Amino acid sequence: MKTQTYTLNLGPQHPSTHGVFQIVLELDGETVVKATPVPGYLHRGIEKLAEARTYAQVIPYTDRMDYMAGMLMNWGYVAAVEKLMGIEVPERAEYIRVIVGELSRIASHLIATGAYAGDIGGLTGFIYTFRDREDILDMLEMISGSRMTFSYFRIGGVAEDFPAEFFPAVKKFIEKFPSCCDEYDGLITGNEIFQVRTKKVGVITPEAAINYSLSGPVLRGSGINYDMRKARPYSVYDRFDFEVPLGCNGDCFDRYRIRILEMRQSLRIVEQALEQLPEGPIMAKVPKVLKPPAGDAYAEIESSKGLFGAYVVSDGSPKPYRVHFRRPSFINLGYLGKLCEGWKIADVIAILGSIDIVLGEVDC
Amino acid sequence: MFGKGLIKGLEITWGWLFRKKVTVEYPDKKIVMSPRYHGRFELDQDKCIACGLCANACPNKVIQLEKTKLGKKQILLKYVMRIEYCLFCGYCVEACNKDALKFSSVIDMNQYFRDKVRLTLVDRPAPTPEEIAAAEAEEAAKAAAAQAAAAKAKAKGEEG
Repeated sequence: MKTQTYTLNLGPQHPSTHGVFQIVLELDGETVVKATPVPGYLHRGIEKLAEARTYAQVIPYTDRMDYMAGMLMNWGYVAAVEKLMGIEVPERAEYIRVIVGELSRIASHLIATGAYAGDIGGLTGFIYTFRDREDILDMLEMISGSRMTFSYFRIGGVAEDFPAEFFPAVKKFIEKFPSCCDEYDGLITGNEIFQVRTKKVGVITPEAAINYSLSGPVLRGSGINYDMRKARPYSVYDRFDFEVPLGCNGDCFDRYRIRILEMRQSLRIVEQALEQLPEGPIMAKVPKVLKPPAGDAYAEIESSKGLFGAYVVSDGSPKPYRVHFRRPSFINLGYLGKLCEGWKIADVIAILGSIDIVLGEVDC
Repeated sequence: MFGKGLIKGLEITWGWLFRKKVTVEYPDKKIVMSPRYHGRFELDQDKCIACGLCANACPNKVIQLEKTKLGKKQILLKYVMRIEYCLFCGYCVEACNKDALKFSSVIDMNQYFRDKVRLTLVDRPAPTPEEIAAAEAEEAAKAAAAQAAAAKAKAKGEEG
């Protein structure tokens, strides 16, 4: 009997694609023969918009990339401008950055793990992670005034110091959160149906992970020990004691599991940073009108999705000549097409969810 | 044993059935926003000196203001925020030296029509010629009084 392959558009309006993202699937029955990701539906031209703004005015736009961890996006950009201008950030500001950054990372991983459980079919897990993410958003709202798009970082420091009500809230959170992680382990990780759906599915070999320049939990899921915070410590990360969780099989389950373990480690960092939090100014002495000298600078940070880099070119005017962002979601997505080949449609959803993309960041 | 994980999950969800609820029933009950919350903008007209720093700080040119001179002072005639373009980054509030522009904790700014979204914080008629004259006269009187006082003080100093 003569058969032929069949083309299916997954997305751009599909709940499992986590936003407006399309994958064109060529199917042989239910098996994927070829998968072509089509990003670009959420492109807003942030890099171009930045050229028409002053250096400080770009910060609110960086929030709109990975809106699950806006603080970390702020950080990458301000780090690049600070490098360009040679600004030394006060120690207290660095600690504040670490605390809000790690809280943001936890919030982002809560979405990743919860939404992944939802993708696999266990919507209960999603509700539980959202409950605890709310606590983090409340704390970040106390600090910055916003719940998702914070614009809290400034070139040379941060906008405001911690309010008094933040400390009891974060203390309560640190006490409570490990038991919440146990709950996720009980609800999602230990669930047999979840395990069957994710274990040995979408295996990324360590070689492929390096060749495709993957980063973040997707890379570490394949067992490669590379975390910017440990490998090339920036800010004050060399002063904290934490571990980098690694996977061994490189499958969907490992990528999911690493995020849960990373949340526990992030909590440890927050705890230590709060203990060590020094007194002092929160802003370096920065001129009112920022005019970096002509030249360029590239700074990288470890965001919740992987290596987030910002490249800023200055021509000496108050506006950046060119800004480019290295968005980890976009680069991690580059391997999706190859990764999906040979799996069933339902596995495509599991694989896509395990990469944890945020379309705001992919399309920028 | 297969199914152990499923039973553990059920244990967790059933456990929560008998604990305090973490959600609030929104329209009837509302959560109090933190003091720094970026809600709707408020402008204190008396404090504002119409310097335009807020409009300059804005990344999206949200703030449009018209001003006029009343005596030596500058006053606002119109202060309109095109909230549909606002990023709620708070740069305008940060830029305000006089503490005139502030955030409130009002969160419901939703409207059915786009043209209703625009937030007009000040909209008043231009001062009449009489008002301008009165303000100028007042300022002149004040200046004269200050001059007289200075002269008096000087005379006193010479005496002593």
